[in-house]
Amino acid sequence: MTRRPGKGRRQIALKDRLAPVLISLVSVVVVFGAIAWFVGSAEQWPRIQNQFFSIDAMLEAAPGVARGFLVSLQIWLISLVCIGIWALVLAIFRAMGGPWFAPLRVFAIVYVDLFRGLPALLLVLLFGFGIPALNLPGLPKEGLFWGGVALILSYSAYATEVYRSGIEAVHEGQGMAAKALGLTQWQTLRYAILPQALRNVVPAMLNLVVALQKDVALLSVLGVRDAVREAQIYTARTFNYSSLVVAAILFLLATIPLARLTDHLARRDRQRRLQGAK
Amino acid sequence: MAHKHNMLTVALLAVMAMVVTPVLAQEKTPNDPRLFTPGKLTVSTSEPSYPPWVLDNNPEAGEGFEAALVYALAAELGFKKEDVVWVDVTFDGAIAPGPKAYDFSIQQISVTPDRAKVATFSDVYYQSDKAVIALPASTVASAKSFAELKAAKWGVAVGTTDFDYVTNVLGVADAAVFDDQAGVFQALQGGQIDATVAALPTALYATCCQVPEAKITAILPKDPKDEGLGLLFAYENPIVPWINEGLAALKSKGTIDELAKKYLIADPSIPEITQ
Repeated sequence: MTRRPGKGRRQIALKDRLAPVLISLVSVVVVFGAIAWFVGSAEQWPRIQNQFFSIDAMLEAAPGVARGFLVSLQIWLISLVCIGIWALVLAIFRAMGGPWFAPLRVFAIVYVDLFRGLPALLLVLLFGFGIPALNLPGLPKEGLFWGGVALILSYSAYATEVYRSGIEAVHEGQGMAAKALGLTQWQTLRYAILPQALRNVVPAMLNLVVALQKDVALLSVLGVRDAVREAQIYTARTFNYSSLVVAAILFLLATIPLARLTDHLARRDRQRRLQGAK
Repeated sequence: MAHKHNMLTVALLAVMAMVVTPVLAQEKTPNDPRLFTPGKLTVSTSEPSYPPWVLDNNPEAGEGFEAALVYALAAELGFKKEDVVWVDVTFDGAIAPGPKAYDFSIQQISVTPDRAKVATFSDVYYQSDKAVIALPASTVASAKSFAELKAAKWGVAVGTTDFDYVTNVLGVADAAVFDDQAGVFQALQGGQIDATVAALPTALYATCCQVPEAKITAILPKDPKDEGLGLLFAYENPIVPWINEGLAALKSKGTIDELAKKYLIADPSIPEITQ
């Protein structure tokens, strides 16, 4: 059906288009303006402003916090790679059928129950302080290393479940079809199931990626000087909290683009799938 | 006419005196209306608090340097022993801006010029030396200079001036920074760090009772930027001058020195490293 907009019709359309935009703008300005006025009217506000949003203090704290943020980013990226691989291995263990693979399945189930059930902070403390205290020869002693291991083990448990949901979302017929073509169990997984499963789980995985970036701060209990710890150091030295705001801004700069990327990937994926049903 | 005018002034002054004096008369007494709870001296300290600053984690007993100091100060200001009320506050809670549910906090908080910009301190009540704590087997134990000390792996607790000391005075750029002293000692025992610094009294207690395998290997000179320990008040609390008068009186009577001798004695045989 082709549209033939007449003059009057276009005017209505314009008004209809503009009105919601205007209403949104006005309501945003009114709501946030009211909040800003309410906060700003507090008697203590000038002091709070000076102690939390002092530009001078932010600039002074920025180099240290940025250095810590680089440490966070490195831990984050290395952990991501390890989690992506280790969780996939566990998910494959879990997906293997047949009696011979029962030990692997049991291992994967127990692993997920155990590491998903324990708070990440607890694991970081146990690994970071506990293992070096054993004084075993040949093992590294750095808190950074063992804290990273704890994070990887913990997040792999969540990621395994995400992979599993992706694998289970692939229609059974796919597996049967592969089997009918004479593919082995491994080949079926490798060529038929996993490619579809991995595409399914991208948005859910990116969710974990963002969560992990913030949990890297947990390693600070082991003496690692990440962005949050560097900000705390500045706060402790000067009693000024602006450094925490600097850290918050850096985290947002890293995570908001990731959130948009997640949205974009999800939208693209939906469009691609809908094309088939046109 | 002039006479009548004078009479009026006198009468007015008399009325004003009657209204104002009771308030003024109460200032700098235990019933000072500017106290958090008039009639009580409300003091906060950390939970747990450690010897030798507070013994047995029980400040009400008045044992330990800071607990005893608070009771001496309270007596000096005219409070009875039972009028001292203790509340718990963390270091983070004590330094946070905003009104406080107590008159002041005492938990070995160092006065520094940076902090004094946004927080209100009393006069300094004690300044201690810094001590190096290390395992006897580490290279730090035999260090003779700052250069040798600097080569070691250092760890300190966040929120302490120990961090500033290691960074600014010793010039260590990569000291590990833990949540608290317990984390530092844990890392020391695990061999993740070689050494830490702490105020000498804290170090004495740590090496006797918390990490007996470690020892104080050296005394270091004071950091000129660390003015010493002060009581921390809510910003611009008006009772500070009064509290300072009390501290000054305790100082001139020698009470603070006596308490320091009783609770914070150093072993004179520890070597000093000065450069």
